[in-house]
Amino acid sequence: MTGRDVLRYGGNTSSIEVQSDAGKRLLIDLGTGATEFAKQLMQQEFGKGRGELPILLSHTHLDHIQGLPFFTPFFVKGNRIRILGANPVGSTLQATLQNQLSPHYSPLNGLENLAAGVSIDTFVPGAVLSLDGFDVATAAMPHGSMWTTSFRISAGGKTVVFLSDVEYPNPDAPLPSALALAQGADLLIHDAMHADHDYAMRKGWGHSPARAGIAVAEQAGVKRLALFHHSPDANDALIDELVLRARAQTKVDLFAAAEGSYLTV
Amino acid sequence: MEITFWGVRGSYPVPGESTVRYGGQTSCVETRSASGQILIVDAGTGMRALGQQLARESGGLPWQYHVLLSHVHWDHIQGLPFFEPAYIPGTKISVYALLTAADELQQVIGGITRYEFFPVALEKVPAQFEFHEVAPQTELRIGEFSILPIALNHPFGSVGYRIATDQTSWAYVSDTAPFTDVLHKQHFLSGVEVLTDADRAALATMRADLVSALFGVDTVVFDTHFLPDEYARFPHYGHSTPEQALEICRDANVRRLVLYHHAPSHSDDMMDTIAKTYLELGARHGIEVLTSFEGMVLPIGAQPVVAVEREVTPKGGVMAPGALKGPGRNS
Repeated sequence: MTGRDVLRYGGNTSSIEVQSDAGKRLLIDLGTGATEFAKQLMQQEFGKGRGELPILLSHTHLDHIQGLPFFTPFFVKGNRIRILGANPVGSTLQATLQNQLSPHYSPLNGLENLAAGVSIDTFVPGAVLSLDGFDVATAAMPHGSMWTTSFRISAGGKTVVFLSDVEYPNPDAPLPSALALAQGADLLIHDAMHADHDYAMRKGWGHSPARAGIAVAEQAGVKRLALFHHSPDANDALIDELVLRARAQTKVDLFAAAEGSYLTV
Repeated sequence: MEITFWGVRGSYPVPGESTVRYGGQTSCVETRSASGQILIVDAGTGMRALGQQLARESGGLPWQYHVLLSHVHWDHIQGLPFFEPAYIPGTKISVYALLTAADELQQVIGGITRYEFFPVALEKVPAQFEFHEVAPQTELRIGEFSILPIALNHPFGSVGYRIATDQTSWAYVSDTAPFTDVLHKQHFLSGVEVLTDADRAALATMRADLVSALFGVDTVVFDTHFLPDEYARFPHYGHSTPEQALEICRDANVRRLVLYHHAPSHSDDMMDTIAKTYLELGARHGIEVLTSFEGMVLPIGAQPVVAVEREVTPKGGVMAPGALKGPGRNS
């Protein structure tokens, strides 16, 4: 979304950078927000073809991969970028991303034309990955007609959990697998696309009301909760309201994720 | 006839402080005849707000929509799955594009709503879709509109449209490179390629056909993604500069040129400079050069008029249309 009424929380789609105390980086999802991150990277070693970055993909819905063709580090020879994700049902991650760059849709005309060294590595959700000093636990979560991968990322004794594009059968009783993934996390980034009072109309669409993230945070003993994946229909004022209502329901320290904001865990 | 710009950006949508005045949504232009018939050109992210507006206007009733596509690169089609009237049962949406066959177009458009990319498959969308192939130089008629598709110079091909009704006409010429050193190619272009004599001849024909199609058209909306120095670095990307657009418009005796498909890197301040620079340059050649911005409404073919601004984000407050010299000055 663009425009004056989404300036504070931002209008780009999903993309989150995680940086360890040791200075290592990890990116979650390649929504349009990744194009902003790319500008920073290009000022550094990625501009010289000496960058390395693992990218975790939760799933391949467009709002999570739309930034891929415009992620400039892909165009610099020498950069080494690993894309890691699960295969979608009935297809492969490689084929899906290749299809995104098919000659119909993109002049890039296929992954093989990205100048950087790009590898596409798949895993089965449930796998534990070790990436540049990050320990990543993965788990499948229901997302409407499909499922997505959620991540628990630990480095330097701190833990960030990404649970977006998820909808539990009962938002007030999150799945045990979600609670296990989020257990004791320092920061939980949770899908809060819907205001609680809007949710009934949108049940089954694959996204959570704000109270689902609160339930996970309370039951899993999470320290801070970031409400994430804001609806394109929600302007800044509506997100402010969503936060106020959420805070009134819980003692959990919570806020709405805003574009460009850096958070120290 | 009038046209409304719902998305003026190329490549990908750019939200944020630096693009609020000219807008960050990708290509989508609506045109209406005096009697109220509607034609939509390109289905970039700007189409979402247009859909909200149309769903409101129709009172949630099924209407029939016609969508002309220049080509099917993401920035020209990604608004389609978010077009609200598509979810109103009974709605009919006819899509026109340059492809080898209409069923191929169905596969390509259906491909963007594949399971892996989008939760609702095309065949599950309540609206009924129809696909039509267009061919350069083969005129078609949609309601009151006479439409001439025009071949353009862009990787994998692209097509412009001259759209006429109400005794006047405008043309949509995007995406295209100029007709000098780049040819639309059916493979990946890693840089400028050496042209063969046959390539040069094909480009010369393409340019001549474009100029003749645009001859005497009132208003031409042209791909001016690049400034000259940017173009020099990326001539193989398939986009033009305002200078190149002006040259074509001069040859075709066009009254008014509208700069369009702005690079995502061009901030509002840069766009102000571009708007001023080319308004002046155009004036020296007798062509009125306007710079498109999201929400710009332009009457076509009337006596000289000024652009008015309409609020294009239905969720925001309604902005009273009024004369203005640039985007956002009256808000």
